[in-house]
Amino acid sequence: MTSSGTLTLVSTKDDDLSSLPVVPARHPWRWVGVAFVLVLAAQFVHGLVTNPAWDWPTFARYFTAQSILTAVGTTIVLTVLGTVLGFALGIVVAVLRMSKSPFLSAVGWTYIWAFRSIPLIVQLLFWFNISYLYQRLSLGIPFGPEFVSFETIALISPMGAAVLGLALHQAAYAAEIVRSGVISVDRGQLEAAAALGIPRFRQFRRIVLPQAMRSILPNAANEVISLFKGTSVVSVMAIGELFYQVQVIYGRNARVVALLMVATVWYIILTTLLSIGQHYVERYFARGDRR
Amino acid sequence: MIEVLGVHKSFGSLEVLRGVSLNVAAGEVVVVLGPSGSGKSTLLRTINHLEKVDRGFITIDGALIGYQRRGGKLHELKEREILKQRKDIGFVFQNFNLFPHLTALENIAEVADPVQARHFLERVGLVDKADAYPRQLSGGQQQRVAIARALATQPKVVLFDEPTSALDPELVGEVLDVLRDLARSGTTMVVVTHEIGFAREVADRIVFMDDGVIVEEGTPDEVLDHPVHERTRAFLSKVL
Repeated sequence: MTSSGTLTLVSTKDDDLSSLPVVPARHPWRWVGVAFVLVLAAQFVHGLVTNPAWDWPTFARYFTAQSILTAVGTTIVLTVLGTVLGFALGIVVAVLRMSKSPFLSAVGWTYIWAFRSIPLIVQLLFWFNISYLYQRLSLGIPFGPEFVSFETIALISPMGAAVLGLALHQAAYAAEIVRSGVISVDRGQLEAAAALGIPRFRQFRRIVLPQAMRSILPNAANEVISLFKGTSVVSVMAIGELFYQVQVIYGRNARVVALLMVATVWYIILTTLLSIGQHYVERYFARGDRR
Repeated sequence: MIEVLGVHKSFGSLEVLRGVSLNVAAGEVVVVLGPSGSGKSTLLRTINHLEKVDRGFITIDGALIGYQRRGGKLHELKEREILKQRKDIGFVFQNFNLFPHLTALENIAEVADPVQARHFLERVGLVDKADAYPRQLSGGQQQRVAIARALATQPKVVLFDEPTSALDPELVGEVLDVLRDLARSGTTMVVVTHEIGFAREVADRIVFMDDGVIVEEGTPDEVLDHPVHERTRAFLSKVL
């Protein structure tokens, strides 16, 4: 009652509010929240520095050790090959999935269904043990004569099996990401391209893909980063990537925490680089969005 | 130049075109009027084969669009052939459909070499906006770029599907000016529009469509001022 009375008073007495200063609303609880988080963060950092169990001298000794650097290199190679082959195959699968032919579309769907259903680690172990299933691989006419034949175990090394498994797994997810990007492009864009008589492949490459990239990129970056850390799964195949290597070392010297931190910090550094790269690539594809 | 003969088209159980025939001579400007849902846009989209017809056929400059006659049958052309035919048929969309990731000049350069592209941009008075992206242009400017792009394949005819319907009222004039220039320069045009004043001024012939058929056609004077058919009169009384 009092406040509405005051309001009436103001508006009748003095109609011109434009000269009054504006006082922004205060949010004291936000400051309480900030203080709370800062205290927690300070405690955590304090613990990192003062708790000897983190064992920073061991961390420093191994962080740039030759064996670790080699392992980081292997992890990067696995990530790059998995990404490049995975997305190349993924684009093919996405095109199949979007085909007007029901058969080809079903082939694409089945691929995605199968490889999303099988856990990566199970699939990797299958490839690793493929030579139990098929001792020889050969090229020739289906059901007819063979031209060349290989020992499976010689053709598919553990590293080869790992790349194959990661790429096939990645392709299923990449296909759905590419498809989501393509269907996010406005139908009118395809109609305009068709009305101008632009050839089909050029429509896809020049008109659809650059626009699809805008919604493909954040998801694709997620996938690359997730694959990058997912390469640690191939440690089950005794491949010397980062996670396998630190396991080997702490198996020997029992400095588990310090060596896990070595791996963690490397994963963080490389993920940070990927995130920075993502920022610039996204900015490039957003160029038509500038005002 | 354009011959449409006995065209039928259904979407599911809805028959949108129920036997439409239309001839457009070279250099002629035909304006198609009619209430929404009367089949005007669908008719336009069948002419460049964005929509397949169920019955009837369309020719441009004597060439059958979308089909090839072999023996006693019409064989549907491969997409590549249809895309080639579309270079003869410019199409301007209601929503412009410029490629947002390309500049005004690049939009046109998709179908013409850069020097020519600049020339087409000049023709719609936007050469100073060559490097602007569509989002940086007003609706009227975007539609003018879209018209330049439609002209860039050097088409024999240009089709306009409600080219001013998505524009703010104060931007309609600049687009109609471009259409007027084109009409004067002897371009063969079919324009679907609600701009009656423009139709009266520029059209050689007005076609009134309702419910999937052409109800009547004639000079602007005949159709707009002395309509014969009751449905035409009812429509005009609402829009004039």
